[in-house]
Amino acid sequence: MAHEAPGMMHGTLDALILRTLVTGPRHGYAIARWLEEATDEMLTIEEGSLYPALYRMERKAWIEAEWGTSELNRRAKIYRLTPKGRKQLVAETEHWARFAAAVSKVLLPA
Amino acid sequence: MSDSTYGRPHRPARRREIADEVSAELEFHLEMRTREYIARGMSPADARDRALARFGDLARVRKTCREIGRRKDDDMRRREYLSELVQDIGFAMRQLLANPGFSVVAIVTLALGIGATTAIFSAVNAVVLRPLPYPEPERLVFVFNFWRGGLGSVSAGNFTDMAAEQRSFESLTAIQFSSFNLSDGSGAERVVGLRATAGYFDVFGVRPALGRGFRVDEDQSGHEQVVVLSHGLWTRHVGADPAIVGRQIRMNGLPYEVIGVMPADFDISGGTEELWVPVAFTPERKAMHDEHYLTVVGRLASGVSRSQAQQNVDAIVAGLRRRFPREAGGLVMRVEPFMAQIVGDDRGRLLTLLGAVAFVLLIGCGNVANLLLARGATRARELAIRSALGAGRARIVRQLLTESVVLALAAAAAGLAIAAWGTRSLVALTPPGVPRLEQASVDGTVLSFAFALAILSSVVFGLVPALRAARTDVIDALKEGGRGHAGVHRDWLRSLLVTAEVTLAVLLLVGAGLLIRSGIEAGRIRLGFDPGGVITARLALPEAEYTDPARVEATFLRLTEETGRLPGVQVAALTSGTPMAPGGGSNGLIPEGKPLVPDSIVNTQLRMITPEYLRAMGISLLKGRGFDSRDRRGAPKVMILGEAAAASLFPGQDPIGRRVVCCEPGPDGKSPDYKTVVGVAADVRSRGPASPVVAEFYLPVAQVPREAWTWVQRSMYIVARVESGDPATLLPALRATVARIDPDVPLFNMRTMNERLVGSLAAARFNTLLLTLLGAIGLVLSAIGIYGVIAYFVTERTSEIGVRMALGATRGDVIRLVLRQAAGPVAAGVAVGLLGSAAATRVLSAQLVGIEPGDPLTLAAVVLALLVTAIVASVAPARRAAGVDPTRALHLG
Repeated sequence: MAHEAPGMMHGTLDALILRTLVTGPRHGYAIARWLEEATDEMLTIEEGSLYPALYRMERKAWIEAEWGTSELNRRAKIYRLTPKGRKQLVAETEHWARFAAAVSKVLLPA
Repeated sequence: MSDSTYGRPHRPARRREIADEVSAELEFHLEMRTREYIARGMSPADARDRALARFGDLARVRKTCREIGRRKDDDMRRREYLSELVQDIGFAMRQLLANPGFSVVAIVTLALGIGATTAIFSAVNAVVLRPLPYPEPERLVFVFNFWRGGLGSVSAGNFTDMAAEQRSFESLTAIQFSSFNLSDGSGAERVVGLRATAGYFDVFGVRPALGRGFRVDEDQSGHEQVVVLSHGLWTRHVGADPAIVGRQIRMNGLPYEVIGVMPADFDISGGTEELWVPVAFTPERKAMHDEHYLTVVGRLASGVSRSQAQQNVDAIVAGLRRRFPREAGGLVMRVEPFMAQIVGDDRGRLLTLLGAVAFVLLIGCGNVANLLLARGATRARELAIRSALGAGRARIVRQLLTESVVLALAAAAAGLAIAAWGTRSLVALTPPGVPRLEQASVDGTVLSFAFALAILSSVVFGLVPALRAARTDVIDALKEGGRGHAGVHRDWLRSLLVTAEVTLAVLLLVGAGLLIRSGIEAGRIRLGFDPGGVITARLALPEAEYTDPARVEATFLRLTEETGRLPGVQVAALTSGTPMAPGGGSNGLIPEGKPLVPDSIVNTQLRMITPEYLRAMGISLLKGRGFDSRDRRGAPKVMILGEAAAASLFPGQDPIGRRVVCCEPGPDGKSPDYKTVVGVAADVRSRGPASPVVAEFYLPVAQVPREAWTWVQRSMYIVARVESGDPATLLPALRATVARIDPDVPLFNMRTMNERLVGSLAAARFNTLLLTLLGAIGLVLSAIGIYGVIAYFVTERTSEIGVRMALGATRGDVIRLVLRQAAGPVAAGVAVGLLGSAAATRVLSAQLVGIEPGDPLTLAAVVLALLVTAIVASVAPARRAAGVDPTRALHLG
């Protein structure tokens, strides 16, 4: 069952995509599926935001793209992480951790 | 170019590709999603719908992605372009250093051309292009009398009435040039200044730096002893005293209160006028409509055009003609733009020079283009390799052009030194009289011009060689031992360059030649007087002490007598105006028998003289007699006519004994006053040999009407002819004589007649010199161009020459072959140049004296010069060709 996630901020979506690509190059659909599986279908990526995010990140050189052949022998645009993207992922992850900790302090006081 | 280890990065080249890719990517996603739903058991149609629905707004996403994709592509292109540019610039600089021979020749050629052009431009900028230092200078106009085809001065009466009735000017002023004796106890200094009406400072719109301008009440007779100083006079005369306002200085024997000082940049005529006083017309003068001596300047009211002002003035003039049929019968007035009148001929001269120096630059560019063509041939391999490595033709052209631009900019930097030196020289050597020229300098505008000129030149000399070089046939050039197909098909381009250079050189030389011949002709023209051994000096008696005309006359006559008695003086005389000097006024003459209406008036320059003047100046008396002791006050009034005046007044008849009306009313104050013509003098070229003869007439000083002293502002020239030697040696004695008679009256404008003569020709001579210099440089550069092309021809055709010699050609045959190669393009260039010169030299026709633009002698001389130059330039390569060893030449083939 899929729950609709609240509107995700740019930064969060970017971080999720980058994390996905750490596991290896994927095309856009594969990224969406991986995220769904990794979160046990709890997170549904709004697909309308996925591709613009990918294009934005490609422009910022956090990811690179190449047309290759996918499973099913069809041509697909495959993305992979760049060193710059890796650094960005580290930064975003830290930021998220701090954010989550702050929220936890408020919502789940020890 | 990328360090990607993943293979070449994906880079779509065009918008359509980007759009297609976006669509393909999104479509792929939908496909996959649809398959997923189909795998879960949905029907294909439902699966597809569900996938689309889940996706969201497909069209919007597609649009967004395309947009981002485009921007990314643009970013990438820009970065690539910049990095290529930096690469190219670095490569270009290394190329220049690696080929010092080529670089030095090219840079020197271009630096000379760009530097010289920039120098002339700085003069054009200062004199012609920059706006005048007044607010809204385009609203300034002159108002002139228009009489018999020429612009002339305005009378006080006409000005007063016009100023009262006009509706199109915001302010109007009438100006009279005048000279003033400034005395401060330690001697007297003669200063030129303006008498102006109160509106003067409003017209020009410039506030005094200290104090104020005139008040209206100061512009009235009795209240006019106030003065505004120029910055230069303030510095010089009162030591830039900041408290000068309110103090008094002594001028013309009277105290004047200093009420203001003008700012330093108010002066546009190189410091001619140095002070301003109110003109203070008396009521009588305001009613005088027939003495024309004022210059009128106005500022158009906002929104009023010059033609509207002209219409307004025409209406006022019509009224004046009605009210004053005698004085204003044929009155016409013209409103003329201020700037154009100020700059005058200088604009044409400077622009002609700019054109000429641009020609020289073009010839220089032609030579550099030839050098580049030669280099393109030797670089064939390098360029072929680039091409094989994937550089498109446009990319190669871009690289080669960058090299040209770097070359041109380097030359421009060197050329700036030449420009600065050239500008200073121009300012120092140009004869005085060109307004604002002394302000010419290499400023921001001029620097921008030099930069733009460099870029433009680089395109002119670099584009075609770049296109040529980029068209290298790759395979051919990479062949072992391949020299590339230099040879035949490149020859026509080089020949074209030679033709173009020769054409430009012909144009320059024809221009210079015409000016030189004109200068010679001007030297041959009969002046009508003998300038050798004559010195002239001017002095003016101040109004305050010399109100009585009898005293003025007596003083001047005494001065003449005493001068005549000085040792070494052969003869001395007095005149109101000498040739080639300012001063003198014109009067209207009507011969007896003609009706006394304005149409009968012959405008003639008046010279008031003592009887010895004709002898002192060496002017021949053609008919009748000169003035003598008979012609005293009270005796019958006489005049002498110049040839031209006599021909106008009494065409075809003998003027001796005839009578002429002029200058004053008769004894009863109403009827005309006749004077009898007693002599005819030879024509005098009063404005210099280059100007046409002006009609003149002479009156004896002893008989002039009392108003005449006011006409000339009590200012006369003393003329002395020495028996032998340099007349300038007379100066100290002259000064002493004047000082003895009145120590407060300075002698000024002291020159020998020869000096005046040279001075009047100075501007034309300088112009001719410059143009000749440019022509010579152009010729030398063309010679170098011809040499280069012929030398290249010989090198390329060495094997062919070897074959010919092996087959029996003699040295002479080979030399003729080479010369013929030069003959074609040179002859074509001469032909086109001669045709072009017919049109181009029309520009010079205003400056030519005594010859036409199509003068055959000049054209023949230029053709000869070009032929000789072409032969000289071809001699060395021709001899080299004749010295070719056939065996070696064939071996090389």
